[in-house]
Amino acid sequence: MEIRPIFSAMLRSKTGAILIAAQVALTLGILCNALYIVNDRLQLANRPSGVVEDDVFMLSLSPFRKVADVKGMQLEDEAALRRIPGVKSVTWTNQVPLGRSSSNTGFATRRDQSPDSTIVATTYTGPGSFVDTLGLKLVEGRDLNASDVIDVGPDTADSIPRTAIITEALAKKLYPDAKSALGKQMFYSTGESAKVSTIVGVVERLQTPAAQAAPENEGKGEFSVIYPIRELDQYTQYLVRTEPGQRARVIADAEKALSTRMDGRVLLPTFTMNELREKRYRADHALAGMLISVVVLLLLVTASGIVGMASLWVNQRRKQIGVRRALGARRFDILRYFLTENLMVTTGGIVGGIALALGLNQLLVSTLELQRLPLGYLGFGMLALWALGLLAVLGPAWRAARVPPAVATRSV
Amino acid sequence: MFAYYLRLGFRSLRRNPVLTALMVITLGIGIAASMSTLTVLVIMSGNPIPDKSAQLLVPLLDNNPKDFAADAKLPEQMSYVDATNLLAQHHAKRQTAVYGFTPYVESGRKDIPPFQSDGIAPTHDFFAMFKVPFLHGGPWGAEADANKSDVAVISTKLSEKLFGKTNPVGRRLRFNDRDYQITGVIGDWAPLPRYYRLIAGNPTYGDIEDVMIPFSTAVGQEFGNQGSTDCSSDSGNGWQAFLRSECVWIQYWAEIDSPSARQAYGDYIAAYIGEQKKLGRFPRAVNYKLYDVMEWLDHQGVIGKDSRLQTWLALGFLLVCLVNTIGLLLAKFTARAGEVGVRRALGAPKGEIFRQFLIEAGVVGVAGGMLGLLLSFGGLWLIARQSRSMEAVAHMSMSMLLATIALAIACSVLAGLLPTWRACQIRPAVQLKSQ
Repeated sequence: MEIRPIFSAMLRSKTGAILIAAQVALTLGILCNALYIVNDRLQLANRPSGVVEDDVFMLSLSPFRKVADVKGMQLEDEAALRRIPGVKSVTWTNQVPLGRSSSNTGFATRRDQSPDSTIVATTYTGPGSFVDTLGLKLVEGRDLNASDVIDVGPDTADSIPRTAIITEALAKKLYPDAKSALGKQMFYSTGESAKVSTIVGVVERLQTPAAQAAPENEGKGEFSVIYPIRELDQYTQYLVRTEPGQRARVIADAEKALSTRMDGRVLLPTFTMNELREKRYRADHALAGMLISVVVLLLLVTASGIVGMASLWVNQRRKQIGVRRALGARRFDILRYFLTENLMVTTGGIVGGIALALGLNQLLVSTLELQRLPLGYLGFGMLALWALGLLAVLGPAWRAARVPPAVATRSV
Repeated sequence: MFAYYLRLGFRSLRRNPVLTALMVITLGIGIAASMSTLTVLVIMSGNPIPDKSAQLLVPLLDNNPKDFAADAKLPEQMSYVDATNLLAQHHAKRQTAVYGFTPYVESGRKDIPPFQSDGIAPTHDFFAMFKVPFLHGGPWGAEADANKSDVAVISTKLSEKLFGKTNPVGRRLRFNDRDYQITGVIGDWAPLPRYYRLIAGNPTYGDIEDVMIPFSTAVGQEFGNQGSTDCSSDSGNGWQAFLRSECVWIQYWAEIDSPSARQAYGDYIAAYIGEQKKLGRFPRAVNYKLYDVMEWLDHQGVIGKDSRLQTWLALGFLLVCLVNTIGLLLAKFTARAGEVGVRRALGAPKGEIFRQFLIEAGVVGVAGGMLGLLLSFGGLWLIARQSRSMEAVAHMSMSMLLATIALAIACSVLAGLLPTWRACQIRPAVQLKSQ
């Protein structure tokens, strides 16, 4: 092969080659880390919430005058919603998955545990079935029913019900050694006065309203408890599940149905689960979009640099190319020369780029608490840059190959 | 000669249009990406109240239960008991407690149905502490705080919605089933970020609450907290029990006379905790912390990691663009070795060649800078579309505009140095021989 002559030719004009290699190195470093972050964010945003999101929406009302009979109001609201054709299931709720506003408590498995060793989980409360309304998958035990529900008002002393449902993730965290969490006791905070509930069911998954990011929180995003409580709160918020495909119409009907019985209340904006998800991850999508556009621009810029430099080299060497052609080199040989040269420069850049990518990742790990870069990204980045380099050099190399041998005889 | 070189520079832009366009576009994109993200970062990390940020302090008190770990974090807010005690002692020059509530406003007008708004409950000191400008009227007085008066200060936005352009001072605002007398309308005030009330480190930029009423009035009306509430122990049943509990839900600010009075204020807080210990509160060792405005913003992690990441990324991108421009300029200048040879042979010293090519590089830089500036506005527009907060932040300021231009020229000169130096090294004899 002709690597030696190419290499010595390169040594005669080092600057250009070094610049291209440096550019390739920087591009690889940024590319790997950016793509890694993009993938990380998209995975975060695509985590399942456990809810049949396409069929569920939330609707909330807030009073500006004290409602005298809160329970009556809630029951009538629920009945009005259930009367709408296409509604499958309804429950009042204190919070909604992906809604970002949540009520959290430290749970304990023993009364004498220290308060800061408790497991913080979010508590969903409502009188209806969350399993039916959100389409949760019950993996063990039973759903909560009407006889489990307790009414809790501002002045109720006993505010924690006897029964509860928890998620699999929380069950594993609370009772790591037990085969099943069914029948286990769970304390609402600790100490003498801590209230206790028995776990009667386990659902596969139900994200918390905050849906905390996975790695640093060790599954915290799925630490949820469901309590059968009817909170006699002035603020009312309902989760509604519809028959598939009927949600848009049901929302319109539901808003109309409730607005006729809204005396002294304000209907707040209705959100579908899909809209809540979009809001929750808007920043992540924006960052991913920004990173992708930077990566695309970066590749274009680098390609343009390679094209520019290769064109220069071709122009400088027209005469030498002519001589080689006159001495019997085929067009293919000229093409191969420039492709090999480019491959050598790019490879040099890639070697530097790997070091840079790892260094940059180290910086991100220490300052932005990112995870370490999986090596697959490096491999992908290397292949991408090799391909990019070859594609970019193809045009100038093609022009070089078309230099006629007669050039050798001219004195310019 | 400068004007002549400048003319040559412009003329050479046309000589190799593809290469030149590549250079200008590369520089432009690099500058736009870094300047639009940098603008956002600069505004986000700016000081919202520069002349007294060191005099406004947030005290955090450790009222955690005894059995918490020794290194447990301090509560991020204050309990009602501590907030009212500190307010009553009136130790600092000014002080305020702040918490958020939700007003449901009834306009009394047919065309505006009742609607949800947002409100905060501070003391009358709040307005002087944070230098709140007024369009009409002014804050309520100290006696309104003492008497739990039904008074309110509202935003221009709410005022215009309800009363149009007229001055509403003295009129009534009805929300949560009660009338409040309007004492003032807040003028043009868009704190970046809304530092006086940060909820779980989530900053809002350029937006303020629409309704403000005295802290004592809001508590008296039992308006629940709109924000975060943290309870390390049982909060009991009912509003009065909640007020007596160790739950933290109030943001407390004190204004001291000068930054040097900070130590003394800290001593006062320590003494207060000592006093409370005698009453059986604060079971742990005396532990408190003071934060001034900038420390508080930092502590709350207001500048998002994502913004910092974007800025770093954009700077890295600019670096690649710069290297690319160097390469392209090198290609362009090398192609003109013959021209340099002739000029040198005719007696031009190296210095002249250096000047000529550097000016030519500068011309490319200015063109790239102009493009970069245009693209920066595009980039900021894209960033502003992300959210309302971003909309308030993503604005090109005069200083950032100048910085963009300076960056463009610096970049092009920096990019031009190496190729120019190489052009100077050309030996005239070699060039002339091969002609």
